[in-house]
Amino acid sequence: MGTIVAGCLTSHAPNITAKPAIADPQQRARFVAGLETMRRRLLAAKPDVLVVFANDHLQNFFYDNMPAVCVGLATSYWAPSKGGAEFLRVPARQIPGARDWAKAFVQAGLERGFDLAYAHELEFWDDVSVPLHFLLPDASIPIVPILTNCVAPPLPRPHRSYELGAFVEAFVDDARPGAERVALLGTGGQEIRNWIAVLGALHGRKGDVLAYEPVPDWLTGCGAVWMDV
Amino acid sequence: MSEYHLNKLLFDTAGRHQMVESISDERELAAYDLSPAEREALRTGDLTRLYELGANPYLIRRVFRPRFAI
Repeated sequence: MGTIVAGCLTSHAPNITAKPAIADPQQRARFVAGLETMRRRLLAAKPDVLVVFANDHLQNFFYDNMPAVCVGLATSYWAPSKGGAEFLRVPARQIPGARDWAKAFVQAGLERGFDLAYAHELEFWDDVSVPLHFLLPDASIPIVPILTNCVAPPLPRPHRSYELGAFVEAFVDDARPGAERVALLGTGGQEIRNWIAVLGALHGRKGDVLAYEPVPDWLTGCGAVWMDV
Repeated sequence: MSEYHLNKLLFDTAGRHQMVESISDERELAAYDLSPAEREALRTGDLTRLYELGANPYLIRRVFRPRFAI
């Protein structure tokens, strides 16, 4: 059995990197300090893989074929993509993907009643790029993106996200090699389902609020929570 | 019901990284199966009306970015 070694919850919004100066400087400093604490703790946990619960903003998926939950199976992801980099104002870059892990997870889901969509190519905007800009500046940990539809109703029920997280925990517990260390990140400004998934994986455990700043000009509450594992 | 096509126009525009105040190019509008009300709201850049007609708010914000103060 593998081990979940970290659980992180953060907000994302384009203006966090695109327009840092429009936020109250003290609020911005407290939020960024919270993310820096999270980054140090995440690295200290020495994860082999980072599962990122996030959501598309209609840059990958459209109403012609809208997955409720989609797992990325790529070996690398643009986070941000070149188009995303323009409005996020951070350089476009590629982050490695843990394809074998992701593929095994999709397979386990299909065998055990969690019918997951998958995608071999995904581009990321603020959804994944903004939190990883702060938490993974050197792209040193391969990621498994799990995207839940939070923006194009009808949406999956929030409770399904809790079950999704619990399924990830069961997969790590039952199907992963003993030495494997898995970190979880749930990210959403308005997309609370991604936070719920991490809480589902951690079964009612508590956490530390490293920062919470409601920043009107960034159009989101900016939270950073480090969960007990 | 053409709100699918309204969103398709916005999705395609967003995919080209175009940011506009309104969409009034008749040839562009003619390429999508839009209702008269949708066409009018796009021509005049009436974002509230577009939302009421079923345009996804994330696409509205992306495409009509110059219309937002923040």
